[in-house]
Amino acid sequence: MQLTSITIGQFYPGTSLLHRVDPRMKIMASFAFVIVLFLVHGFGPLAVLAAILLAGITFAGIPPIWLWRGLRPMLILLLITFFFQLLFKGGEEIARLGPVAFYREGLEQGVFLVMRLVLLVLSGSLLTFTTPPVLLTDAFGRLISPLEKIRIPSYELALMMTIALRFIPTLLMELDRIIKAQRARGAGIGTGGLVGRARAVMPVLIPLFVMSFRHADELALAMESRCYRGGRGRTMRRKLKYGWRDAAFMAVVAAVLFTSLWIGM
Amino acid sequence: MRIESHQVSLFYQEGTPFESKAVSGVSLAIEPGERIGIAGPVGSGKSTLLALLAGIMAPTSGDVTHDGRSLGRRSPPKPGSVGFAFQSPENCLFEKTVYDDVAFAPRALGLEDEEVRSLTNKALAGVGLDVERLGSRSPFSLSLGEQRRVALAGLLAMRPRVLLLDEPTAHLDPVSRHDIIERLVRLNDDTGATVVMVGHDMDEMAHFSKRLVIIDGGSVVADDEAGRLLSDRKLLERYSLKLPGTVELCRLLGEATGGSVAPVLDESGAVELLLKMAGGAEGGTCS
Repeated sequence: MQLTSITIGQFYPGTSLLHRVDPRMKIMASFAFVIVLFLVHGFGPLAVLAAILLAGITFAGIPPIWLWRGLRPMLILLLITFFFQLLFKGGEEIARLGPVAFYREGLEQGVFLVMRLVLLVLSGSLLTFTTPPVLLTDAFGRLISPLEKIRIPSYELALMMTIALRFIPTLLMELDRIIKAQRARGAGIGTGGLVGRARAVMPVLIPLFVMSFRHADELALAMESRCYRGGRGRTMRRKLKYGWRDAAFMAVVAAVLFTSLWIGM
Repeated sequence: MRIESHQVSLFYQEGTPFESKAVSGVSLAIEPGERIGIAGPVGSGKSTLLALLAGIMAPTSGDVTHDGRSLGRRSPPKPGSVGFAFQSPENCLFEKTVYDDVAFAPRALGLEDEEVRSLTNKALAGVGLDVERLGSRSPFSLSLGEQRRVALAGLLAMRPRVLLLDEPTAHLDPVSRHDIIERLVRLNDDTGATVVMVGHDMDEMAHFSKRLVIIDGGSVVADDEAGRLLSDRKLLERYSLKLPGTVELCRLLGEATGGSVAPVLDESGAVELLLKMAGGAEGGTCS
C-alpha cells in the first residue's frame, strides 16, 4: 500500500454548497449524525442515514476512489467485526459448516455493525473532504469557546488540532521515505513472517520518532521567535458568520436525522 | 551493474487534483563503473529520478532495468546490489551503536559474523571514521558530519556495485564536503563501483563527475562529458546553475586579457594556468 495515498483528514477542493456551508454547522451536523447513528437500530433508519450521506457525497463531487481510500485502512477491522458477530451471536440457525453454525441474528448484526462503522468513517471523511483543516479547527475552537469560562483553553486546543492535522501528511511522507530507505539497506519491512515484521518495525519507528521530536522543537522555536503568545486578545482575519445557506443545510440535516430517529426508535 | 531506464515517468498523487509530474519520459543508460553527476534546479525531479533508477520508487509508466532485468513490485532490485541514500540519510540511523547501524545491512543480507565484522570495519574506515573510538557510541551522540558518514558507511558495508546518492554533502561543513566527494571519487577509481550523485554545487560536480546529466522539468536537457557541459555558461545559467569556480576564473581571465582561455576544471590546473600566464608576462622567469 502506498502510504501517501491515505486520505484520512484530507481536504478535497471544491465549490459545492457543502464546501461553502459554515464549518461550525458542518461539525455540529456530523456530531448529530454520529449520535443518531448510534441511537437507531434496524436497517430502515440506517438506510435513511446512508441516503443523506451518499447524497452529500455526490453533491460535494467527491470521487468514489477517495472514499474507498479512506475506508481501506479500516478493512481488517470491518472484517473482524463482521466475523465476530457472525460466529458468536446465537439465534436461529441458517447454515452450518462442519462444527461451525451460522445464525440469522449474527448475520444481521454483522452487516448492521459494518454498515454503521462504514457510515461513521464516511461521515467523518465527508466533513474533512469538504472543509479545509484550518477552517475545521478554527470552527472547533469557536464551538468550544464558551468553555473558556471554566478555564478550558479552547484556542490552544484548536491550535493543537491544527498542528496535529498539519503534520499527518508530513509524517506519512517521511514514514514512506524511511521505509524505502531502510528497505534499500536490506530491512525486510512489510515482508516475512510475524516475527520478521515485528523486528522490522524498529528501523522505521525510531527514525520517525526522532524526526517528530525534531519537528516539534523546530516549530516551537519558530513560533517563539515570531513572538507567538497564545490566543489571548488575538483577532481573526476570517470571521465566521451564519447565513441562509447554513440554516437551509441544518434544516435538511435535522429533518433527515429526525426521520431516522422516528423510524428507528 | 548496468542500469537503464526506458521512457520512465512518475506522477505524484495521480488522479487527484494535486497531481504533479516529477519525472517524464526519461531514458538513460548508466554503464558499470561510471561516475555521473545529476544536476538541475530545485524541484526539477532529479531526486525522484535517482529513486526510480535505484528501484526504490516504482514509475507510473516506463521501465527501469538492472542488468537487463526489469524492476517492478514483484521483482525488486537484487538485495545489496544498489546502495541508495535519500537526502540526509542520517535521519535513518536507528541502532544503539554506530557499529550495529553500519552492520545492519550485511546482517540483513545474512552474512557470517566474521564477514559482517570485516565489512563493517572496512566501511567505517572507508568513510574516515575510527571504529575503536566511535564504534560503540550511539549514532545520535555524533555530529551531523559524523552521522552522515555513518549513514554512508551503512551503504558501503553492503559492498554495492552501484551507489546512488542524493546530495550526500548537503548541510555539511566545507572540509567534510570535500572529503566525502574525494572518497567517492576514490571509491569509483579503486573498486570500479558505479557512483551517481545528485547535487547542485558545480564545484563539487567539477571535482566529481566524469559525465554530467542536467535535468529540468522532469526531463533530461543535457547529457554529456562533464568538462564540456561545465564550461558552457549559457547552458548552466539557463537551468539556474553556475560555472565552477575554476571555469569562471578562466572566463574572467579571458575577458581581462581580451583573448580566450581554455577552461580548466580543477584547482591545480588553474594554478598551472596562472603560473604559465604570469611567466609569460614576465618573460618566462617564473620559478
